[in-house]
Amino acid sequence: MKVLVPIKRVVDYNVKVRVKADNTGVDLANVKMAMNPFCEIAVEEAVRLKEKGVVTEIVAVSIGPKTAQEQLRTAMALGADRSILVETDEDVQPLGIAKALKAIVDEEKPELVILGKQAIDGDNNQTGQMLAALTGMPQGTFASEVNVADGKVKVTREIDGGLQTVELTLPAVVTTDLRLNEPRYASLPNIMKAKKKPLDTKTAADLGVDLTPRVTTVSVEAPAERQAGIIVGSVDELVEKLKNEAKVI
Amino acid sequence: MAKDAVGYALTALNRLASSEVLDKMGMRKSVERLAYTLTKSGFQVITTTARTFKSSKPGSKPERLNAPGHTRDLFDLGITDEQQMIRDSVQAFASEVLREQAEHADAAQKTSDEVLAQAQELGLNFFAVPEALGGAATERSTVTSMLVAEDLACGDMGQAVAILAPMGVANALTQWGTALQQDKYLSSFAEENPPKATIAVCEPRPLFDPMELQTTARKNGDTYVINGEKSLVPLAGEAELFLVAAQAEDGPAVFIIEGGSEGFTVGEDPSMGVRASAQRPLTLDNVRVPAENRLGNGDFDYRAFVDLGTLAWCALAIGTCQSVLDYVGPYCNERTAFGEPISHRQSVAFMIADMAIELDAMRMLTYRAVCRAEQGKSFQRETHLARTLVKDKAMKIGTDGVQLLGGHGFTKEYPVERWYRDLRAVGVAFGGLHL
Repeated sequence: MKVLVPIKRVVDYNVKVRVKADNTGVDLANVKMAMNPFCEIAVEEAVRLKEKGVVTEIVAVSIGPKTAQEQLRTAMALGADRSILVETDEDVQPLGIAKALKAIVDEEKPELVILGKQAIDGDNNQTGQMLAALTGMPQGTFASEVNVADGKVKVTREIDGGLQTVELTLPAVVTTDLRLNEPRYASLPNIMKAKKKPLDTKTAADLGVDLTPRVTTVSVEAPAERQAGIIVGSVDELVEKLKNEAKVI
Repeated sequence: MAKDAVGYALTALNRLASSEVLDKMGMRKSVERLAYTLTKSGFQVITTTARTFKSSKPGSKPERLNAPGHTRDLFDLGITDEQQMIRDSVQAFASEVLREQAEHADAAQKTSDEVLAQAQELGLNFFAVPEALGGAATERSTVTSMLVAEDLACGDMGQAVAILAPMGVANALTQWGTALQQDKYLSSFAEENPPKATIAVCEPRPLFDPMELQTTARKNGDTYVINGEKSLVPLAGEAELFLVAAQAEDGPAVFIIEGGSEGFTVGEDPSMGVRASAQRPLTLDNVRVPAENRLGNGDFDYRAFVDLGTLAWCALAIGTCQSVLDYVGPYCNERTAFGEPISHRQSVAFMIADMAIELDAMRMLTYRAVCRAEQGKSFQRETHLARTLVKDKAMKIGTDGVQLLGGHGFTKEYPVERWYRDLRAVGVAFGGLHL
């Protein structure tokens, strides 16, 4: 069984992002980039399925700049067998990515697509769902447990107030939540082997996909700074402030 | 105006030039030359005002000089993509596992089995063994080993030593071992459960010099008989394999000794720092070792063996100093006294700036020595320079880390006191590790 794992290059989660002075976006100059943490969980899940003998081949794919090769190499160091980079310098958006992934799915014909529920940069939480819609595959989102058996995948989903288990017929799309697994550290020998694994580069034109952004970013602003708390002198003062300043009583 | 100035100067110089004092002092030639150049440039001042600057056809872009195509010549501290990936992986392990467990491991004087098992998953042992013997190494990678040591120590130095000591034995066997020694001992490091191993060089006496060992190895037929005392041996209590430095008749040598050999006694851990590596003294009383267990069997460079250990300690110190620096910056920006962050005080800010400068200097010297070692060039001098700087400055950074935290620094609630204790190891440590 073949698994496709789409991954995204994002600003490392440890980095404190700064908004550009002209409010057009986030400053990416000299900022450490890494694989989106939810994508790491997706890669880990695919590798675990392979270790269980359920999966035979893991293909990692990324849509983004040439430098996204680094993240694909990381995916291969973690256990992916080969990878595909759809190279573009456009600001890719969920719909564009989903269309490109559909083209890859048509080519590769994987039985399972595992991807992160969202990327920590845009926090869109759309790509998996759009891909499922475009390909007509069933979807199991926010997975906290995945079991593959007899041509079906059972996905336990984290929903408001509890867990829901759905059963999907393969091929299917699964998006990972935080608690699905804890990704491993890439081992040194595997990092060295990753260099020898194949990495194909394609363009949107090769896939016949239009990646033009459909959504325009109007402005990006840093969240307002929280004001420091104060210590009140007496209960009377507290009541007075709650009444007149906070206006909650 | 210019003419006048030149005129005055000439008059003064001419008067000077004709003076007899100059002859007496042997200065005539230089003063005459001065008079000549002064007049020449004086006239130039007048003529340059008459130059007209012409524009030919302007290009669309300004001309800039690019960096030379290959920048690996004089000063390039860039690392390969592969090394960067290794660093990312090791750094994540160090900050998420080693740093979390540091306090516990320090108190327990032991690196927990879970931590060692997780370190095992990083595959450092495979990385130390050549491909032909079942490992993953295809070329000498002293620099990568150094980066790994630095990053592990950034998490916790004590546990880093416990993790790296067996790797040191594997590295030494790869670099110096005979075919027989590699087959018997090195290949076991490429197994799922590699042996616990360590290196014993230090001896308990003042002004210890690794080139003058008091532990002796007397040859007796097919065996060596080893007698002496060793100190600060990491993992001494549990190691299954030891590399022990001893003075043979023909100079210092290193012997491969299996743990539990007769005449082997391990003492208690007396050290204040790197406690998670359980450094203990070792007594060798008539320990008999087959002659074929002499490391390298003649094809061996003891000086380089010791230096590669020293450089490993330098790398560890750099990692720990980095964690001190990373800690005190935010602390001093947040901690307020007299109504403002203490980092607004120059006495505090300068201390942190000095740390950063000295840490980079330590890095440069150590990296250079290790690069030369990897390239197969001489690195004894560079190692000595690096160690001399690192042992002083690392201890200073440790002390300053405690100082910057004031009263907090003195308590065990903050990690700086542990770093202070760990960093003092660098001045006394020889051996134990090998890059």
